[in-house]
Amino acid sequence: MKDTGLSINLAPEHKAGLTLANPVMPAAGCFGWGTEYAHLVKIEHLGAVVVGPVTAGPRRGASPPRAVDIPGGVLLHTGLANPGISAVVRRYSRTWTRCPVPVLVHVAGTSPDATASCCHRLATVEAVAGIEIGLPDGTGPEDVCAIVEAAAAAARQPILVRLPLFSAAQLCEATVEAGANALTVSAPPRGTMWHELSGRFVTGRLYGRFVLPLALHALCRVAEQVAVPLVGCGGIHNVEEAQAALRAGASAVQIAGAVWRDPGRLSDIARALGRSSELNPPPGELAA
Amino acid sequence: MLEYNPVRMRQTDALITGLDNSGPFARITIAAPDVASELTSGRFVLAEIGNTLRTPLFPARLGVEAFDILVPPDHLAARLQPGATINILGPLGQGFEVPASVRRLLLVADSAHLPALLDLARPRNPVSSEKPGPSGDMSVALLLSAPSAAELYPVWLLPPALEIHIVTADGSAGRGGSPLDLFPDLARWADCVCIAGKPDTYPALAHIVREVRLGPGPGFAQALLVPPLVCGVGACQGCAVETAQGIKLACTEGPVFDLLTLGARM
Repeated sequence: MKDTGLSINLAPEHKAGLTLANPVMPAAGCFGWGTEYAHLVKIEHLGAVVVGPVTAGPRRGASPPRAVDIPGGVLLHTGLANPGISAVVRRYSRTWTRCPVPVLVHVAGTSPDATASCCHRLATVEAVAGIEIGLPDGTGPEDVCAIVEAAAAAARQPILVRLPLFSAAQLCEATVEAGANALTVSAPPRGTMWHELSGRFVTGRLYGRFVLPLALHALCRVAEQVAVPLVGCGGIHNVEEAQAALRAGASAVQIAGAVWRDPGRLSDIARALGRSSELNPPPGELAA
Repeated sequence: MLEYNPVRMRQTDALITGLDNSGPFARITIAAPDVASELTSGRFVLAEIGNTLRTPLFPARLGVEAFDILVPPDHLAARLQPGATINILGPLGQGFEVPASVRRLLLVADSAHLPALLDLARPRNPVSSEKPGPSGDMSVALLLSAPSAAELYPVWLLPPALEIHIVTADGSAGRGGSPLDLFPDLARWADCVCIAGKPDTYPALAHIVREVRLGPGPGFAQALLVPPLVCGVGACQGCAVETAQGIKLACTEGPVFDLLTLGARM
């Protein structure tokens, strides 16, 4: 990556650093493994891509129904469906080497051992520039410390930790003390809806514009407490909302459900924030 | 990263070139040359027409540069006026596959879901603006069901060569009862079955296929199954469908599935 003076380092305290040419990236769980949107998103305009989530072993994921329409958004419960860290690295690591921007892999921090196992495997993958750890909802400070310390000890790359929305302010200091280089604020909140066709309740993460004020509230509170770089995430659908997250203390933003509705908007937001369009070479140049 | 993507989809603005509200379904013509040329029956586009999520639209007639959809009058798409543009993602998914060797094609649908099958009944020799249909040397039969005559898809709008079997729940048109009553004989006759209906009828249809056909091959009976489609490209993992081969995603591995592989839970 060319050093233009406009780049952002999300891990200034880490020996490898995590420099992005642009503060815009897709959120974990919204962008697949980096290949799904390759025809629809100008990836070279982004700051990074965040792929996954991945777990230590393969997960079949939740039984259907997984998605429920809700007013203003969607409720989604995938059950962390993924083929497991070994299969993911086998299938996608060569692809990631041709990605024109840094690749961050989101690891579901289900336990300290499982998290360390994933990070240990990813440490050998040159194409992975950073690891984002997702915390289970309801995790207390002690468990968070154990997960983050295990990740930091096993990983070669900088560690970002995505905090649960409603406990972000309570967990942020402990997370940084445990070794997080940056924090993503925050994971989508959870909700429950009745699914008429299946005749049962579905509990999952909520995506939609209505998340933005909640996420900004959490971001402001976290920004008051910690000095590490923050990544704003939740309900961001346009440039103005991305700028609001930056004003609230974020150094970068992740775009979640808005990618599904309008994939092209991801690169539009990145370009409109004015930092990227000429910074990264097109994929072909790197692939060669 | 391009070569790893199995779905050559586009995000594009499509032009509404026609709207016919005279029938029980609104017929909307959507011009999108790059997308229409690669659409087939059972494949779909996701359109931005006012819902929070994009809305899946299935072609009812395929042209070279445009396609028609048929939607109920209260559908958001029925408000689209000629000259308007809509943003679409597509073409998406895997559609119906009718092998060239098929001579007796059975279509099974309730009136609400029939539009997604209509192009399969079109003849192989098209008018100039249409793609060749699949039904040139084929006999095509349709098992069409509805709760009552009032809710029945108008049969005079269907291709004249189509052999139509009508079932209404209240007996007000065609035969009274369930389409399952007629399905066994028709499934014996057919050498390919394409289905679009309510998913809760699929297990019973699969049971009948297993009973009346000895070792039906893969793809003998194909069924359209449409859970909520969030991203359309396999990124969100939301459109999961239980199959005998495990969880599949309707957006990339469906929404047309082998009926006999579908699980009971949809």
